Amino acid sequence: MMQRLAQAAKIGIGVWMAGVIIATFLIVPQYEGLGEAGRIVIVHVPTAWVSVVAFTISAIFSGLYLWRRRERDDHIAVAAAEAGLLFTILATVTGMIFSQVAWGIFWNWDPRQTSIFVLLLIYAALFALRAAIDDVDRRRQLSAVYSLFAFVTMPFLFFVAPRIADSTLHPNCAFIQGSNCDGVVLEVGKVGLIGDQKVQLLGLERQGNLIVAEVKVSTPGLQQEAILYPSLDLVDGGMAARPEFPGSRFQLGLEEYDEATGAVRLNMEAPGTQLLENRRTLYTFLAANLGFTALFFWMLQVRSLVLNVQWAVAQRGRA
Amino acid sequence: MDNAAILVATAAVLSVWIAIFIYLWRIDAAARALRRELEREREHNDASTPSATVNRVREAGEPVERR
Repeated sequence: MMQRLAQAAKIGIGVWMAGVIIATFLIVPQYEGLGEAGRIVIVHVPTAWVSVVAFTISAIFSGLYLWRRRERDDHIAVAAAEAGLLFTILATVTGMIFSQVAWGIFWNWDPRQTSIFVLLLIYAALFALRAAIDDVDRRRQLSAVYSLFAFVTMPFLFFVAPRIADSTLHPNCAFIQGSNCDGVVLEVGKVGLIGDQKVQLLGLERQGNLIVAEVKVSTPGLQQEAILYPSLDLVDGGMAARPEFPGSRFQLGLEEYDEATGAVRLNMEAPGTQLLENRRTLYTFLAANLGFTALFFWMLQVRSLVLNVQWAVAQRGRA
Repeated sequence: MDNAAILVATAAVLSVWIAIFIYLWRIDAAARALRRELEREREHNDASTPSATVNRVREAGEPVERR
């Protein structure tokens, strides 16, 4: 009975993921500013989420191995770490594609990209460590201890580092309203940073109901400079003109104007922000999260089973 | 992207997913069959190997009971 249920669940994963793929391409609408590339968020975020789950399971079973010394715990820990590494690579590659579309470059050592790269190195070193030790018990013991230490870095590298850095271009605002979503308040002549773009407010001009800011924008390394003119409608308080930053699809918005101090709040309108406000996109995104999580557990079960069988065959060979 | 192009992209990604699914399914089935085989072999070995149970350990100097 359990066997049949498990088989049915596996077929269910196949059908569910096929549905997610069809929905991603044919039901999710294009996102303004990103076009077809906006769909990549349906894969990018769930793969990152699954890698968090995988590394957590790897750490739990590493701890259980150190406690109970059962080889099955080690097999599950290794299988979870392998799947975690695979899904982290997928998240990195899909993120790079998104980055090319949104920022105009595949890799620019953004804090988010740097932290995920460090995480990849940490978990790649786990497998290097395992491959370097011949004694089975010692290999299991050391890799379990290493896996626990690696897990301690994971929440910091995944969640904390990219959010405490002021100069990230990653659209965190799509999910969490962090400090990077507040923009900068500038008076005329002052300089500030939005993401990794340097902005200087050169002047303000009233044009009817609009207040127009003259802003000098410099890309990282001062490779490109441009004068942009974002504006704010004083009657309805909404942003009017939102010019694009040079070489990217990010827009410069004028969000607030304080008449008393002459200060304005400038912010970056990141493509991807509010992507999930569309219902069809949101439901497909949630379905993808569920599908990828179920797929991970299936992969984990298959891989740990293969490791168990390999171990049993090796034991039989010795006996 | 026009309608035909997105249909082609959908078909391509679906094909990749079907290939991954079949691959995973086959590995799963093969590993389970191998495990069953190993378990059967172990049970067979356990059944065919002569076994004895120790009920009592003879004290030093105690005469050996012969049947």
